[in-house]
Amino acid sequence: MHHAFKLEENEYNLELSRTPVGYCLHLADGSVPVNLNLLSDGSALLTVSGSSERILLATRGDDVFIHLGGSAYQLRYEHPLQRLAAQSQGAAEDHVRAPMPGSLVALHVEPGQSVTRGETLLVMESMKMETTIIAPRDGVIEAVHFAVGQTFDRDALLLSLEADAVEGKKP
Amino acid sequence: MNSIGNKPIPDPSILAATRSRAASWPFRSVLIANRGEIAVRILRTVQALGLRGVVVYHAADRKAPAVSMADQAIEITGATPVAAYLDAKQILAAAQASGAGAIHPGYGFLSENAGFARAVAAAGLIFVGPTPEQIELMGDKVRARAFVAKGGFPVAPSAIEDDDPATFAERALAVGFPLLIKPAAGGGGKGMRIVREAAQLKGEIERARSEGQRYFGDGRLYVERYVENPRHIEVQVLGDAHGNVVHLFERECSVQRRFQKIVEETPSPALDSALRQRICETAAGIARNAGYCNAGTVEFIFGAGGAPGAASGAGNAEFYFLEMNTRLQVEHPVTEMITGKDLVLEQLRVAAGEPLGFTQDQVLSSGHSIEFRIYAEDAARGYTPTTGPVLALRLPQGEGVRVDSGIVEGQDVTAAFDPMLAKLIVSGKDRSEAIVRADQALAQFALLGCVTNTAFLRRLLKHQAFIDGQVHTGFLDAHPEIAAQPELNQATLQRLLAAAALMTRPMRDGADQVPDLHAAIGSWSN
Repeated sequence: MHHAFKLEENEYNLELSRTPVGYCLHLADGSVPVNLNLLSDGSALLTVSGSSERILLATRGDDVFIHLGGSAYQLRYEHPLQRLAAQSQGAAEDHVRAPMPGSLVALHVEPGQSVTRGETLLVMESMKMETTIIAPRDGVIEAVHFAVGQTFDRDALLLSLEADAVEGKKP
Repeated sequence: MNSIGNKPIPDPSILAATRSRAASWPFRSVLIANRGEIAVRILRTVQALGLRGVVVYHAADRKAPAVSMADQAIEITGATPVAAYLDAKQILAAAQASGAGAIHPGYGFLSENAGFARAVAAAGLIFVGPTPEQIELMGDKVRARAFVAKGGFPVAPSAIEDDDPATFAERALAVGFPLLIKPAAGGGGKGMRIVREAAQLKGEIERARSEGQRYFGDGRLYVERYVENPRHIEVQVLGDAHGNVVHLFERECSVQRRFQKIVEETPSPALDSALRQRICETAAGIARNAGYCNAGTVEFIFGAGGAPGAASGAGNAEFYFLEMNTRLQVEHPVTEMITGKDLVLEQLRVAAGEPLGFTQDQVLSSGHSIEFRIYAEDAARGYTPTTGPVLALRLPQGEGVRVDSGIVEGQDVTAAFDPMLAKLIVSGKDRSEAIVRADQALAQFALLGCVTNTAFLRRLLKHQAFIDGQVHTGFLDAHPEIAAQPELNQATLQRLLAAAALMTRPMRDGADQVPDLHAAIGSWSN
């Protein structure tokens, strides 16, 4: 199975095939007959193993948003090639990302500066509260991607550290 | 017809009578200096009265429903979208250019800015709200507290920095722990900090001062006794320029996160009729003392145990004055649903110089109403704000269901504004009927593209303590399991994966490209 979706932190492998009356969904633990009919009001009729319900869905890029059973969910389609590439990418600790949307209140470092683990890199504001972002490891600041006053979304890349395996292991 | 939900509010005959009198009001056109759901809410009444509704908007809100609903919409600019809505000069220019005779500030932004209220009057326009002096009095939390205490109403033990800055920390210690540090110029929970031990006091004072300085341009502080497990109960008041002041009962707003309300309801499950009357009359008394004009809300901290200085009611209950908000509240709809009064209509009537449309004994309460704030936030991740496009939106409908929404499909939810997207107000003949209807309505509330708190609100509704009405402002912190994302059951997971696979082109196309062989094998193997 080379298709996969990510939901929350989990990845699910699956495959889809055609049947005379619809489709068949193949999961790790078995296969089920499925179908999806888009309705004129923008909702859709989802049928799984003969049981149907109305759901609402929308897509955006590789994201599929689904409102089902009174709750909303987001699934991301994982392209087979990207999944391979992700496995060979650099350490996440080289990138300091925004834990939540917000704006930059104070910047304590500049490119080229050495920092030690736990040192304050910047202060951001979100939900009317300040959050201090600290260095995930010892290292040298490679780039700062936002200026004070700018706003960003969750997971935005705020700062990059120079990849330096030796520095990262200092006590 | 100003029909809100499926219950006409106000009564059609009151609307018709007010509408004909509005023909001779000193303003025939109202500019709304706000955005989102409250701009829509105000427009609805303005237009129902036959008045012209004008809105200002930042480009980030171009697709917002208030802009398309208004009789005229004027774009304003700013260094940030929020700055545009705080720019009094541009807003006044828009009011004059559009011929508006009055400005309704909504809540937040310029609504409690005395300087703005003065500038509106100086421009020859009417500010739909209290006088600048009343805004100033209640906006300075320290002065407001002293004013209320002087009137003989209950306030919590406290220490005020301004009384003698040199001894502030010492006097704060004397108040006792736990205590709450608040900015003198604050509101909305900004810059507030709970301190439980003397060792933390100094550091927390410095932090609160820095936040106060940044949010309000004023670093002055005060501390007061923190009532453990308190309820937040507030009372709606209305006053006019003829000296009339009435209350419209209380709202219980105890379900909060980070000092901000999530669910509000009326009546409060904590009050019996004697206590209810007492807290409501206290609020009306405070407003009357201030000669209060227009809509306002008196907030109280309500505790189960007795403490010195508190007004005691049934059992050991106590309540203290917290603050007065000199504007329409976010949660005003629950009051409208149980009293049948249109608060925006009364605000406009008072602003036009008329007396209130009713007396205290004509304000009756019937049924139960609960408001749920629909936030763009992820409860399971510490209620952090979420962003994203509104790809699809379906609002709930049904008996007792009202939705005050500020979003439409095609809009983007950004970090530029407060994360509140809409309000769901559900009413029933009693609290349990309202809760049952609310669960259905929350399940129907579908927004795709941006995470909202509707699933969290449904979990909250099903929590036994909420069902029993046993809530306090620390309720969600005490029950983190409500915010946690529940485990997905296998049947739901299967359905989600089926829908996602069938909606994803590479998968569906892949399956469709080998139809004959696969289909043949499929039917064969079945």
